[in-house]
Amino acid sequence: MNGKNASLESLAPIDPVRLEVIRNALLAGAEEMNLSIWRTARSTVVRETLDYSTALFDGNGNAVAQSTRIPVHLNSMSTCLEDILTNHIPLSQWNDGDIVMTNDPYCGAQHLPDFVLFKPVFENVDLQSQTETPKNANSAAGKDKSNSQSENRRCVAIAAAIVHHIDVSGGAAGSYFAGATEVFHEGLRIPPIKLFERGEENSAVTAIIRQNSREPVKISGDLQAQIAALTVGAIAVERLVTRYDSDTLMLAMQHILKQSEDAMRDTISDIPDGVYTFKDFVDDDGQDAKDMVIIANVTIKDDHCSVDLSESAEQTPGPVNCTLNMARSGVYCALLSVAEGRAMANSGAYRPIEVICKEGTIVNCTEPAPVANRMATGHRIVTTVLGALASAIPDKIPAAYYGVSYVAALSSPDRVEKDERRVYFEIEVGGWGAYPGGDGADGFSAGFHNLANSPVEMCESIFPVIFTEYGFIPDSGGDGKFRGGLGLAREWQLDEEWGVLSGNFDRFRHPPYGLHGGEPGSKGRFIHTRGDTVTELPSKISGLKLQRGDRVRLETSGGGGWGLAAERDQTLSEKDKRGGYRVMSKRKK
Amino acid sequence: MSVKQSLVNVRVAVDIGGTFTDLHLHDERSGKTWVWKTPSTPDDPSRGLINGLIGITKLAGIPLSDIDTILHGSTIATNAVLERKLPKCALITTDGFRDVLEIGRHMRRDVYTLKAERRPLLVPREYRFTVDERIKSDGTVLRELKPETITALGQQLLALGIETVAVVFLHGHLNPSHEKQTAAILSETAPAITVSTSFETSPEVREFERTSTTVLNALLKPVISKYLERVEERLKDAGVKAQLYLVQSNGGLASPKDAATLPVRLLLSGPAGGATAMASLARKHAINNLIGLDVGGTSSDISLVSDGNVDEAQESSIDGLPIRMPMIEIRTIGAGGGSIASVETGALRVGPQSAGAEPGPVCYGRGGTNITVTDANAVIGFINDEAFRTGDITLDVHAARQTLNEKLCQPLQLTETRAANGVLDIANSHMAGAIRLSLFEKGADPADFSLAPFGGAAGLHGCAVAEELGIQKIIFPAHASTLSALGILMADIRHDLSISKLLPAVPSSLPELQTVLSELTDQATAIQRDNGLTEKNSAINFSCDMRYRGQAFELTTPWPEADSVTSVDDACLQSVIRNFHRIHEERFTFTAINDPIEIVSIRARITGKLESKGDTTESDDQRSPTASIDPAATTKKLASAGVELTLNVISRKDFLNSEKDQAGPFLIQEEYTVLLIADGWFARPLAGGDIECIYRGAAT
Repeated sequence: MNGKNASLESLAPIDPVRLEVIRNALLAGAEEMNLSIWRTARSTVVRETLDYSTALFDGNGNAVAQSTRIPVHLNSMSTCLEDILTNHIPLSQWNDGDIVMTNDPYCGAQHLPDFVLFKPVFENVDLQSQTETPKNANSAAGKDKSNSQSENRRCVAIAAAIVHHIDVSGGAAGSYFAGATEVFHEGLRIPPIKLFERGEENSAVTAIIRQNSREPVKISGDLQAQIAALTVGAIAVERLVTRYDSDTLMLAMQHILKQSEDAMRDTISDIPDGVYTFKDFVDDDGQDAKDMVIIANVTIKDDHCSVDLSESAEQTPGPVNCTLNMARSGVYCALLSVAEGRAMANSGAYRPIEVICKEGTIVNCTEPAPVANRMATGHRIVTTVLGALASAIPDKIPAAYYGVSYVAALSSPDRVEKDERRVYFEIEVGGWGAYPGGDGADGFSAGFHNLANSPVEMCESIFPVIFTEYGFIPDSGGDGKFRGGLGLAREWQLDEEWGVLSGNFDRFRHPPYGLHGGEPGSKGRFIHTRGDTVTELPSKISGLKLQRGDRVRLETSGGGGWGLAAERDQTLSEKDKRGGYRVMSKRKK
Repeated sequence: MSVKQSLVNVRVAVDIGGTFTDLHLHDERSGKTWVWKTPSTPDDPSRGLINGLIGITKLAGIPLSDIDTILHGSTIATNAVLERKLPKCALITTDGFRDVLEIGRHMRRDVYTLKAERRPLLVPREYRFTVDERIKSDGTVLRELKPETITALGQQLLALGIETVAVVFLHGHLNPSHEKQTAAILSETAPAITVSTSFETSPEVREFERTSTTVLNALLKPVISKYLERVEERLKDAGVKAQLYLVQSNGGLASPKDAATLPVRLLLSGPAGGATAMASLARKHAINNLIGLDVGGTSSDISLVSDGNVDEAQESSIDGLPIRMPMIEIRTIGAGGGSIASVETGALRVGPQSAGAEPGPVCYGRGGTNITVTDANAVIGFINDEAFRTGDITLDVHAARQTLNEKLCQPLQLTETRAANGVLDIANSHMAGAIRLSLFEKGADPADFSLAPFGGAAGLHGCAVAEELGIQKIIFPAHASTLSALGILMADIRHDLSISKLLPAVPSSLPELQTVLSELTDQATAIQRDNGLTEKNSAINFSCDMRYRGQAFELTTPWPEADSVTSVDDACLQSVIRNFHRIHEERFTFTAINDPIEIVSIRARITGKLESKGDTTESDDQRSPTASIDPAATTKKLASAGVELTLNVISRKDFLNSEKDQAGPFLIQEEYTVLLIADGWFARPLAGGDIECIYRGAAT
């Protein structure tokens, strides 16, 4: 990480006004890309749940400007690109019009449904070399276009987009196979390759992708939207090159990174020096592993923060493992949250943060460990790091939020074409942790992800489900001076001959923690009802066969409470009682 | 009760804003238009309205009783929501879905934070009731509504002192029988409570957005009804016998009866007048594509005219609450005259925080301590006391200079001029970025547009924003400070109807499409009748919201017409499909010719002209006597771009009389604002008092 930023201290000065104007334009470019995907994608996971992110990078692979989307995506894209450039396709092999893609978690991606795409923006230096002495003008390498980088062109920036695709095969719908024990069970794996080469689509790749999806039309539609967004990002960069020239733009990007770095250093400096430790648990891996510990040792020294997660549990046979890339993303997300908008999220902000993870652990798994439900552990990394900081800055850190992406996927026949498969994929959220000064938000996206729900009417018009409830679970927030936010109940019944359900949940055994005497939030639950038979299921489910009329109910966890319940303001308690947010006189634990 | 349309002779447009009530009066008999401005009366806006009517009729030399039409635009609905001056409201919805309104779409806007952003909630949980009933996604009834539960609920609502109720059932837009039944029972058991149903308010799929819209309608019903009663009473007392119309968010007019039934349609009507004025400005100067940039104190509103029509959106929001219905598309950004410039970790930032009207910019001397865009303009010397004759403000440029030095110059080691100009550059880049994003959504290129800056603070930013966007032509409209009222004067009666129906866009859907179009035609004809409209002075246009199967967002695609006859046949369907592909390509850079297309909703728009002869846009213009420009200052010393610069200053009146091109840089001084014609721009007066400004490149 540090190597490519070695020249930091010697940054040439830049006019602060021009810098700010360029910064705004880069952010607007990332937003244009965001908008482009939002409006054109096909699947509900993208179009309603908004599970995608966009960003603009500098020519060295540093994320500079990110759209306001999903932390887990955004803060892993730069390490993904770094992996590709270092280990797979060096920049010298990238050409104008290329799009490089991967979904391989062991090449920097997250899990198989997430496709990460990069498109470089090159500038011909020839135009400028009229005023400069061309270096290596007679170099043989300069003639070999496919292998040329430095002589007559340079990479000014890279546009990037990550999209969660609805299905890339594997053992369960949505490629969320809770029973996987190897990454090979989880679906189609694409190493870093060129999806486009010099503007030409590699149609063999898209054909393979279509053939390996339960939802071929949707995946190609979403991929098209993703590709279009990259073009939009590249145009935004080219506009800036035309307006300001590439030297200015590239210098500005270095300054933007430096601004974020400085802001993050300021944030860390405000935290008292010391070593802070916290631990939390992931329920299980759906196989035999249980109560996997995540331990964060956070060392604050001046303006530097080191997070050592090496004492965490061994990697598991089941798919709750995080790659190093994911673990880093979790740590960055926690620290950026502490900065609360002070540091613009980009690679500069990561510089003062060191992440140490022992290989072979659940926070740095090795091939071929399965990773589909990596968010069970990923969210826990965020809450563990925050938990450690709670003893350093107790007046700032909230109790734990629900802390998992509650992902369920239903595979069922199409209403008309019974041989085709429809994949209903949903991600739910729960309650926020109470913070020093107020109750946690009820049923609201927190922390490591940021997702919208799918409207019930939209789901019912596309998939064979009839909802019976979507609402808050009273009493589910942890008690305290300030209570945790409430979890959500989402319940539906199947309106089709058959369906197969997979569920990737957590926090069924280890509830979100409270702080300073606050109670933990409620645990999550998943209940299957057939006729009079009610079955409470574990947090990882695969291949659950449903019949017409079967009912499934997900209850997500509430957030932890903060401070002693005895100190709770009477008016807050009354408000809870009046609205029925609280119905029991004493909470069940 | 239907509205009687008489031949309009004297029409008055009123735009009630926070500070001023602006009026335009057009007298058909003389062909003249008058302009008047009077202070608003926020405690009871109808007082300001009457004051204005008295003022403008005096100016025009006619009695109040001569007015036969009043077109009323206001932010009364908007302010009631923003200030939460709202009645006690309940929501009745399907069992199991009590919290849909509060959960919303549960996505946050602040990505990195330790405490959640505030989420607005207009109906507390204790006033949200559910009943046992269920309609399926195909519109069939799964569980029947039990009438006795509604009767009991009606009693309970009365006991709670509920004034207004929203009824929203899942899929109620597809099968309104349960909502209708509930409304009927409530009107019997609890006639004191007004009822808003979702199928009448916003009959479109997605329960949260429909609920939010219906709840806002319910909350506004008593507010708007009471206001309209008061207005009509005051008008009667003053001896005005005019027909009243209200401006809606779609830019069209509605009768008081329709406005009281669907007041949510008034909610975002504030900027609608300005946008309508943009359309007529574009028509007047034969410009196809025009960007309206209204720069105010705390924010800027951007509207677009494409191919001669004001762009519309099907959804917007107020204070984070979605409103789903057709309306003029306005992009509001947090960059205005009051936007605060600050240094954060060594970086210069402008906005989104604003000093607002109170305490306002430092140079207003009302306790403002943060440098704003207005302060930067004052330090450079663009604005001075003359521009502020309406208030009691004396500009304290010295204080602005001192604060600028302390807060920006020292930390950034910039000269005063550079810092002040820098603040403007950044504010301009925000505005340009927001305009580009607005255009981007439509796949449009800024270079194909002209720019029309208006509103108090836009005149100084127009040239810079245009340059940033590569725009070559600017129109500075006449009446920049009362433009909204002028737009209202030109508005038509307008109603939007829609029926949500998911249909594949294939010939076998034609019978169902025919049914839906017939139903819409029946509804539309009834509305024409109610508003006294005839075939001659009104039109019904149909369109479909379409998407590729599975897409989230629909594109509104017009249904073809041949000699204003709408027919439903395969040729029309194929033409709609072609149009859809084309619009999709424009907006999103790709089409998927072989993919199935769905129709999601079918819309009907009824537009009706108020009986009137001639065009009011070209008129013998009589200015109000509220302010005159001091011609004393003819040059001004400026601290611009690091050099002392002396600019010519000319009053708008003198410039208009000069009738010739003039090269920038120079300043045009008006009543409430100043225009900067920058270096490289050439300005010339146009008919009707507008000013055209063309970019010919800066002298190097």
